[in-house]
Amino acid sequence: MSSERSIKSRLSALLDGRGFFKTHELVTIGLFAAGSRAATLTLALLGGGMNPLTMIIRSAVHSALLLVLLAKVPKTGVMTMAALVGGLLAFFLMGQGMVTLPAVVIATILVELLVKALGGLERRRSLGLLAVILSELFTRIFNVGFSYLAFREQPAMVIMVVVISAFSYLGILLGLIGGVKMVRELRHAGLIG
Amino acid sequence: MPGLSDKFKNAATGRLNLAPETRLALTLMASIFSLIFSDGISLGILAAASAVYLVLEVRPKATIIVYIAFTVMATVAMISLKLLGLFMAAMKGQPLYAALFPFIRMSITLNTILPLAFNARLSDLASTMGRLKIPGLIRLPLIITVRFIPTFFNDLTQLREAVAIRFRRRGGFFFWLNNPVIAWRVFFMPLVVRLIRSADELAIAAELKGLSASTDFGDGRLMLKQADRVALSLATIGISLASIFGNLYA
Repeated sequence: MSSERSIKSRLSALLDGRGFFKTHELVTIGLFAAGSRAATLTLALLGGGMNPLTMIIRSAVHSALLLVLLAKVPKTGVMTMAALVGGLLAFFLMGQGMVTLPAVVIATILVELLVKALGGLERRRSLGLLAVILSELFTRIFNVGFSYLAFREQPAMVIMVVVISAFSYLGILLGLIGGVKMVRELRHAGLIG
Repeated sequence: MPGLSDKFKNAATGRLNLAPETRLALTLMASIFSLIFSDGISLGILAAASAVYLVLEVRPKATIIVYIAFTVMATVAMISLKLLGLFMAAMKGQPLYAALFPFIRMSITLNTILPLAFNARLSDLASTMGRLKIPGLIRLPLIITVRFIPTFFNDLTQLREAVAIRFRRRGGFFFWLNNPVIAWRVFFMPLVVRLIRSADELAIAAELKGLSASTDFGDGRLMLKQADRVALSLATIGISLASIFGNLYA
């Protein structure tokens, strides 16, 4: 009985964020999610939504910002929170990604567990790079799976989705190259720890 | 009957009197059931019902513009699929109407997303999340986000003006594309620095105000009005009819 209660109280404490995430960490996560969403939205308005070039640049911006966030707040759970907050923002405002959001969150949690098993972001900062690479890959695999469900009568359209996902993943990788440089510079400038 | 129409439709905005939660629920229902159904009759009923919802909620001009864009996109996709079909054996032997199913699914989702996108307000976000009992851990970052987006766009404008002064021209999309190094050094890097600075400033402000994830933001109760109840029951009836008829004629 008592252990059951303690689990319940511990769970509610986690959901309220007591002890686990500090206020400034939550604020930073929220700001990076907003920045990423707003930047990709602006790029889409400037360059038109669906051409490959805009898609590559959008993903590059997204992954660079995610890498900087992981360097700024190196903690287990930050990536899941970022995915959740960014996804919910799109969900409440545009109804986007309702079906895929749970899958994306589960994929991110799996990646976080892997990173934790390898030593955790707190101890080995370089794991952030691996975390972004893997979580974006899993997200795209889930997206292709869902588009197979939606377009099952036309397999050729799934191939199109695969091509689009490949382009945006290329953008993610390019953004990571820039992101590593950026993290180095920001660390040199003393803006991140 | 003016009394009845007042109850369901807001005269000032010309939209239905729906709570944001109802719109979210309708969008969720539409996207899940359009994935589940795989026969023409069920998808047709769902498409018709969602079209009625769209017409009632969104101004005709916006609807027409979005649908013209959607039709152009669908036509281009169909033509390219036909071209692919000339070369790929897997594409042959399919009935013509089955080729339309993906587009019907997309239009069902589009029909329910448009009312949400045209009617959602950032200022409603906090109260909606409170009514849905979303934990503080997630609500705090989202509320900060709402506060921050205008600042972010202000930063973007200032950076563009700085570039205009330095390089004596407005930075359009192609200017950035032709000069990626300038875009990186003069635009993106300062943007990230500003992002980190405002994160620190807003965090200090939030902590000084005593905001934390366990702050009580004031949860309202979820109150469904008559319009919400009618809309949700009609949607449920429509989906049941669609699944019954789909199974009958399958």
